[in-house]
Amino acid sequence: MDSINITGAKILFTIPVFGGIRITETQVNSWIVIFGIFILCLVLTRGMTARGVSKRQAAAEWIVEQVTKLVRENMGEEFVPWAPFICAILGLSGFSSLSALLGMYPPTADLNTIAGWSILVFSLITFYKIKTNGFLGYLKGYTEPIKIFTPFNILSELGTPISMTFRHFGNVVSGVVISTLVYAALASLSTLLLGWLPGLLGKIPFLQVGVPAVLSIYFDVFSSCMQAFIFAMLTMLYIGSAAKSE
Amino acid sequence: MSGEYLELISLDIWHIAASILNLLILTLILKRFLFKPVQKTLADRQGQVDRIYREAEDSRAKAEEDKAFYSEKLAGAVEEAEGIVRSASQRADRQSDEILAEASRRASDTVKRAEEEIEQARKKAMDELKNEVAELSVEIAENVVGRELNGEDHRELIDSFIDNL
Repeated sequence: MDSINITGAKILFTIPVFGGIRITETQVNSWIVIFGIFILCLVLTRGMTARGVSKRQAAAEWIVEQVTKLVRENMGEEFVPWAPFICAILGLSGFSSLSALLGMYPPTADLNTIAGWSILVFSLITFYKIKTNGFLGYLKGYTEPIKIFTPFNILSELGTPISMTFRHFGNVVSGVVISTLVYAALASLSTLLLGWLPGLLGKIPFLQVGVPAVLSIYFDVFSSCMQAFIFAMLTMLYIGSAAKSE
Repeated sequence: MSGEYLELISLDIWHIAASILNLLILTLILKRFLFKPVQKTLADRQGQVDRIYREAEDSRAKAEEDKAFYSEKLAGAVEEAEGIVRSASQRADRQSDEILAEASRRASDTVKRAEEEIEQARKKAMDELKNEVAELSVEIAENVVGRELNGEDHRELIDSFIDNL
């Protein structure tokens, strides 16, 4: 029986600078996803007209309007220019997770990917807090309501990006892990039950057909969209409230 | 399994940086290639809608103006027509009055003339009758008296007698 290895992204090659930059499946797949979204944008917005709207154009308008509406409702009118950023989070997270459907290694299953996004969002939260309250006001915010709370406040502040990272990462990775386990289990079961069939027939893992597809609908399709939406929602709420806080 | 893999949970500063960069790049791509063209199209459409509304308002205002103008004209025309009918009927009344007056004048003339003629005829007949009676009376008297009366002598007498009848 094959041993089951659950690992991170495959390292494709290493650029020998700065002590070796490893280029992994995550990087390549991220670029593929970004390129895919880029092509999608070009296709959807090709030949746009003010009248006689095509289905492609209707889809493009729907995406823009929905994301803009979401940003307006959750962050306020002044954050509407942030809609492309939120749309980028939704698109990158969603399509990265969905790339698992094509048999690709989902970039969202790599902790570094989500950590990068969370760090960016955390920087924005901090930037808006300082912008709204001033640097001293921002520091003072940690000592409220009383000074003894300072360590807890710092912890909770750092907890924001960490919890965002692990929520997203954990959901995608758990899907990958369970899918791998079920896949391996089905292969073993198939061998056990149908291994007596003569020749090549005994080696075909029939049970792997069908069952993983059902799991895939939950882990790859539903969970992917859900996590993308949750991450985008949290980003909007945190940045929005950072800009509003006194 | 062949090849080298990362640990399931591993952090690499370059990968984190790449991830941040990827997100920013995608943001710029979406902004430039999705949001900008769509927003431009939406603005264009809004502009067209505004223009169409404005044109519709203008057309309606003009239509109202035209309507007021023409209904005024129509009212004038109706009044004029009434005036024409009124003057025509007045003229007709006047003419018919004149015709009636002329006719009755002529009729009364005719009647008068007829009456005069009748009167003349009557006088003439009277005179003739008078002469006849006078002559007849003389003849009767001659026969009664038996002798010829002098007509000339008695004519005056008979005439006065007849006049007294």
